[in-house]
Amino acid sequence: MEHIKNKKNIITGIICALLLICTCLIYTDAYKSFTAYGNKKVTIGVFSDSYWEVQNGYSYQILEDAIKIFEEKYPNVKIEYVSGILKEDYTEWLSEQLLSGNAPDIFFVLSEDFNDFAEIGALKDLEVLIEQDKEFHREKFYSSAYEYGQYNETQYALPYECAPKLMFVNKTILDREGLKIPNNEWDWNEFYKICEKVTKDTNGNGIINQFGVIGYTWKEAFESNGVKLFDQRGKECFLADKNVEPALIFIEKLTELNSGYNITTKDFDLGNVVFQPMSFSEYRAYKPYPLSIKKYSSFEWECIPMPSGPHGENISTLDTLCIAMNKNTKSTQYAWELMKILTCNTQIQSEIFNYSEGVSVLEEVTKSDKTLQHLIEESGNSNSLNLEILSDAVEHAVVAPRFRIYDEAIEEVDKAVNSIIDGNSNIRMEQIIWNRKINKFLKK
Amino acid sequence: MNESYHSRYMLVIMKNLNLLTVLYIAVIMAYGLSGYIQENTAVDFLTKIYQIPIVAWKIPVLVICLYGSCLLLLYIQNLSNFGLFLKVCLELGICFCLSYVIGFSYSGVVLLILADVMRYFPKSKWKIPFAVFIILFYLLLDYNLLSVHFKITPIDSYLEYYQNNIRSILLGIKNVLSSLNMLIFLVYIILLVRIQLSEKKRILELNKKLNDANEELKQANIRLEEYAEESAQTIKVMERNRLAREIHDTLGHALTGIITGIEACTTLMDVAPEATKEQLKAIAEVARQGVTDVRRSVKALRPDALEKLDLEKALTQMVYEMQCATSAEILYQCTTSLNGFNEDEENIIYRIVQESITNSIRHGKAKQIQIKIEREYNILKIHIEDNGAGCQNIQKGFGLHHMEERLNLLGGNLKCKGEKGFIVETQIPIRWGTEEKNND
Repeated sequence: MEHIKNKKNIITGIICALLLICTCLIYTDAYKSFTAYGNKKVTIGVFSDSYWEVQNGYSYQILEDAIKIFEEKYPNVKIEYVSGILKEDYTEWLSEQLLSGNAPDIFFVLSEDFNDFAEIGALKDLEVLIEQDKEFHREKFYSSAYEYGQYNETQYALPYECAPKLMFVNKTILDREGLKIPNNEWDWNEFYKICEKVTKDTNGNGIINQFGVIGYTWKEAFESNGVKLFDQRGKECFLADKNVEPALIFIEKLTELNSGYNITTKDFDLGNVVFQPMSFSEYRAYKPYPLSIKKYSSFEWECIPMPSGPHGENISTLDTLCIAMNKNTKSTQYAWELMKILTCNTQIQSEIFNYSEGVSVLEEVTKSDKTLQHLIEESGNSNSLNLEILSDAVEHAVVAPRFRIYDEAIEEVDKAVNSIIDGNSNIRMEQIIWNRKINKFLKK
Repeated sequence: MNESYHSRYMLVIMKNLNLLTVLYIAVIMAYGLSGYIQENTAVDFLTKIYQIPIVAWKIPVLVICLYGSCLLLLYIQNLSNFGLFLKVCLELGICFCLSYVIGFSYSGVVLLILADVMRYFPKSKWKIPFAVFIILFYLLLDYNLLSVHFKITPIDSYLEYYQNNIRSILLGIKNVLSSLNMLIFLVYIILLVRIQLSEKKRILELNKKLNDANEELKQANIRLEEYAEESAQTIKVMERNRLAREIHDTLGHALTGIITGIEACTTLMDVAPEATKEQLKAIAEVARQGVTDVRRSVKALRPDALEKLDLEKALTQMVYEMQCATSAEILYQCTTSLNGFNEDEENIIYRIVQESITNSIRHGKAKQIQIKIEREYNILKIHIEDNGAGCQNIQKGFGLHHMEERLNLLGGNLKCKGEKGFIVETQIPIRWGTEEKNND
């Protein structure tokens, strides 16, 4: 009797163990490797149009070239991607793939999605791969672009292409007013003086129709005055920082110049505004003929770094398109190789200047003569761009802290800044009150 | 028992109810998740959650696999305490995984495990620690507690896919199922407690019965003792009566005869001296007869010569008597001291010699019998040989058989040979130490 019971127990135990093993196989997707054995492939998630909101005809050119390089090295590994996904649908498509467990092995991550994906653990931690790979040199990247792929001090993505924010200058107005283009180390004083001088009524109808600046908000002012708004993990806000007050006062002064007139981007397009902060990708998109005709035909324009505040430097933000690896990828090594070809291969990276509007994330490529030649040919003007400006702007760009409710927190700060500027009470006091409110929000 | 049947029934209900509950939760989660994908609102879902969820179809499959393995584990029985501990830990581990899959929205399976454990060892001292351990686990397996330290996607995020009123109904059903499980668990525990109470009662009753029986036994024992006493008394009286009768019959009779005879002699002596002589002779005969009767009586009362003589003397006397009584010549030779034997040993030695002589004379018609008793180390050897008819096929009669049995009890043995006369040889191991040997 005892013997039979023991036997029964053992059989039950074995069935139970088998069931648990099945559970593990299903949970970890390990069963897929049985079915896909010998059929090596890497899938990549990509969108069809340009990241920089500009249409061009080369959507998959760089990727195809990268695949060619990869397949030369690993002829038995196939690379697949789904074509035809627009950038506006890309986030939804990628989310659906992630939820249904079919996400590609590596995929491009839009900067607005990066925090969410990193937070929910959809991205693979690349630190180990980076450490093990002797051929990988992080120093080759612009440090700001490289940091863009970090979340909670962990590298989750590699930068693919980037574009710094630069100040666009309407040269035609400056020439008309007899002013020189500011040099690369200009500051708020110079900026304000030019704005003050050009803000006027040119046609004598009593309404101001020529303005200094559009789109220069507290964000740019904070960045160039060395304000660090949040800590790295988004647990604390530093709105009460001493550098905040001058920036607020400066913005207030700039706004007052317009005497209540609400400037729109149309005013800049028509050539009535001297300055507008814009992404470098826009410069590259509209500078070359014939696109320049289409958008900014009535004036000559140029781009220079952002003006520096009394406590800061001539810096601004950087927008970066990253490539990340799926956490559940079954072919980590091949995926990593492909990622490296896309981000670290100089040939592929230099193609960014040919087929896209961004800037290569590799310093070596961006600073090369070949790139300079290309940019000069593109713009048709050898004076228009100093590569050093571009490289510096990228290198010194500010990388915003990465946490999940960053966008919401920025909205809160925006509310605070507007309320402080519109209000008449003591700025310092308001700063402290709002800072407390935002901290409360962050802790929630 | 009726209640135990009910409790087992409750456990079966609990198992089924838990399966229904976890499967229900898994299905509404999976449906919600695939709904997000189908309606192209996956981004909304992703921004709400804290961890990439398990793929929709996997949720019910994993739940079934995990719950199935948990049920299989529950089915394993008859384990040692350590085995049971291991089993419970494994069950709780599976339970944790199961709860994880369904977003820690339901932990009733732990109650099932607790119910099962309670069933297996109702009397063990490990019951309380096990129960406390499992209850702690049950309390900690809560979404709100765990979400402080772990990234867990709450079930509400999945349910937000449904319209408000449907979501309320779905959640309501989940809560009803969960409460029902709790209720059944409570009923189960109450039944279990009642079973234990009735068991205790039964044991108490049995104990009482045992005590009663014990008391009765004591009484009976006392009565038996009294009866034994009475019986001994009766035997004494009977014995006395017998003695009285014997004395009356033998001595009384003889003495009466003698007195009557002597009185007659007194009268006759002067008249007829010859007749008196004859009379006296008759009186002497009566007296002798009386003595014989007395001897017979005494012999009947006192069974053996051994009772008052030691073995050596008893043997010598027996040999002497037999020689007087029969025409056979008996040679008795003893080369060792026969002191120090126990009563049983003495008895056997005596009986062997007696039986052998009787056999030789009765069956063998022997004229000469040789008896030799000697000692070799610590073995006593008795050798009895006659010149009688002997016996070709020795068939042990009652006497020989009885002798052999008794010898075996002492660890000795008996050999018989019947070809030439009859020879009996016995060997008896001597029990009383070695100091005698030195003396010899």
